[in-house]
Amino acid sequence: MTVTSLFGEPLATQYVLWLVDGLDMTVRVSLAVAVASTLLGFLLALLRISGVRVVTLLVATYVALFRNTPLLVQLFFWYFGLPGLLSDDAMLWLNSPHVLSVGGVELSWPSFECLVATLGLTAYSTAFVVEEIRAGLRGVPDHQRLSAEALGMQPWPIFRYVVLPQALRIALPPLLGQYMNIVKNSSLAMAIGLVELSYASRQVESETFKTFQAFAIATLFYILVIAVIEAVGQCWAWQQRAKARAMGKTA
Amino acid sequence: MLGLAAAGESPGDGEDGMNFQIIVDNLPYLLWGAFPEGPLGGAALTLVLSVVSSVAAGALGLLLGIALALATGNVHRLLVLVLGFFRAIPVLMLIFWTYFLLPVALGIDVPGLLSVACALSLIGGAYLAHAVYAGIAGIRRAQWDAGLALGLSRVQVLRYIILPQSLRMMLPSFINQWVSLIKDSSLAYIVGVPELSFVAAQVNSRLMIYPAEIFLFVGAIYFVICSALDVLASLVSRRLA
Repeated sequence: MTVTSLFGEPLATQYVLWLVDGLDMTVRVSLAVAVASTLLGFLLALLRISGVRVVTLLVATYVALFRNTPLLVQLFFWYFGLPGLLSDDAMLWLNSPHVLSVGGVELSWPSFECLVATLGLTAYSTAFVVEEIRAGLRGVPDHQRLSAEALGMQPWPIFRYVVLPQALRIALPPLLGQYMNIVKNSSLAMAIGLVELSYASRQVESETFKTFQAFAIATLFYILVIAVIEAVGQCWAWQQRAKARAMGKTA
Repeated sequence: MLGLAAAGESPGDGEDGMNFQIIVDNLPYLLWGAFPEGPLGGAALTLVLSVVSSVAAGALGLLLGIALALATGNVHRLLVLVLGFFRAIPVLMLIFWTYFLLPVALGIDVPGLLSVACALSLIGGAYLAHAVYAGIAGIRRAQWDAGLALGLSRVQVLRYIILPQSLRMMLPSFINQWVSLIKDSSLAYIVGVPELSFVAAQVNSRLMIYPAEIFLFVGAIYFVICSALDVLASLVSRRLA
């Protein structure tokens, strides 16, 4: 490889399209993982603060186990280990195509790699999301709940209308950070053969030997996705400030 | 069927339970690779890689954090942008950059281990820079004013008054970053550096029978190392608090 091939002519359209397909997979998997880990994380955070000792301990153990081992090893475990732990029938079902019909839209059945990547990333990311949501719930001062109680509100409305909105406001910025991590971590799924953006960049690189172009475009795509999430966060923060100013004026 | 099954057992038996004999047979290889006959590998290489990257990341983070604190205006904005770049791209992508492009750019052969250490240090440094900057910014303005009033220069105030106080607060972040780097060092697998994850995948593809056992055990090694550091970090932050 010489320096001329480093900055040589641009990539052919065909290869750029490979990268775009990779980006598409990265975004899809990340979205699925973000939604799943937020829902699961929310549920586990509630269990974590439930006050039932066994439940609290179980959630804490889950969080410690999944946070303190590398995602790559977890993905390998699911990818290579899961088929041995499932029955043959279940594996056959997972590997054969099914048609999902959601509201008249037919979705094609994802590959085993895609399923395992989504599962593995969700299990890993949930361990982080739980802690962010729990921190958010803990960040709501106790007097908020007590004052609502004094007003005669019932436990569920207190949680739903007093505690939850404030907790989500505290948890949103760190949650967005976790969503960025999910996008970045999805690159590890290439190790189990998921054709996402990093995998595609390696493919283009070994096909064309245009190392610089292949990695530069892939890197730009990642930055683009992260920038979109960052922009969402900035917009939200700006709205919050505007709201606070408006409240200040009326008070 | 837990554990003590004979090594030469037929593969079918593994389905009834876990077979951890396979771990015992491959334990030295998982822990230190082909060492001392061959190069160091396995968990030992993971530790070496993470320590080297942590030290380099710590130095880089300290330097960049101080630069962030001292720089103003456009230089500050530029620094934030560059650090943001390193924080926005996946570690894996950065490893590709250093592994495939460093040799081309420098015209020399860069061993995989060095390129991975480079990538990990850059990422770790970018994250730590913000922690260092926050630590410096967390020291009250009055401390600066007092130092300057005594006739010290900005650098002297930083060196003798601000840093000794803020470094204590930052110690837990440095240890936490070390934990991240231990986990991230598993990505060296992608470019064939024989650290713990790589040798685990190697053992797995050689046997192809007991993947669950192998990756559970390897996960346990990582877990012990990372949890120990985690406990250390919380002890340190409690003592300093």
